[in-house]
Amino acid sequence: MASPQPQQINVADLDIQQLADVRRQLEEELNHLTNSFAQLKQAQAKFKSCIENVAEVKPQNKGNTILVPLTNSLYVPGRLTDPEHVIVDVGTGYYVKKSRAQAIKYYEAKVDYIRTNLDSLQETISKKQDNMNYLVNVMQAKLQAQSQIAKT
Amino acid sequence: MSLEARLQTASAEYQKLQSDLAHSVDARTRLDTQLSENEMVKKEFAQLTPSNTVYKLVGPVLVHQDQAEAKTNVETRLEFIRGEIKRVDGQIKETEAKSDKKKDELVEIQAALQQAQSQTSG
Repeated sequence: MASPQPQQINVADLDIQQLADVRRQLEEELNHLTNSFAQLKQAQAKFKSCIENVAEVKPQNKGNTILVPLTNSLYVPGRLTDPEHVIVDVGTGYYVKKSRAQAIKYYEAKVDYIRTNLDSLQETISKKQDNMNYLVNVMQAKLQAQSQIAKT
Repeated sequence: MSLEARLQTASAEYQKLQSDLAHSVDARTRLDTQLSENEMVKKEFAQLTPSNTVYKLVGPVLVHQDQAEAKTNVETRLEFIRGEIKRVDGQIKETEAKSDKKKDELVEIQAALQQAQSQTSG
């Protein structure tokens, strides 16, 4: 993180212009973090649906006809001949043939791994939000003080 | 050479150094992603049983590959990436040092320029 503790100097010492700058910077960071959070959530959902799909490739479905997509709109009929094995993309262009149980374990580990990442990200986000709230409070107090000075 | 010309060349050089630095940092982040991806694959390969066949994606087809071969492949890739990271890190340090020096030079020229101006006006 660029500045996990952006307030080395007391925020109350900054003038309103500087506060607005800090706020903009915090907003940018928050945006970036929430975007990453959404992306991770998506990846997790993808792995979860993989688990469900692998569960569908069960021995009872052996020999059943399925439609294999060649393109988005073109399908050819196929038959499930090997319900015991699936081929899993493990990254960097490598694919591994696994038994169903192994594949499910692999995807569960992935989902879990993403969950730990999500948890730590959530923590960072709420910390940033706290910073932001504090900053906004200080800004409002400053603005109020300023308008009071203007009145007198 | 006049001070203004020196200031101009120095600031141009400084800008170039800054963009070099940004390039290197970019490359460094990319390498980091590659490293973690390859490490994940290595971890996965470590858990394989002999019954797990490994395929490599070559263009649009999956080609069967020996487990041992795939493992050494990933290992060499990891080594290569680590080497690259070291190289880029060195580059970043070097560029940072250079740009710091340029910055000092710029400040010096600017100070001299200001002095010259106050002398002519005063």
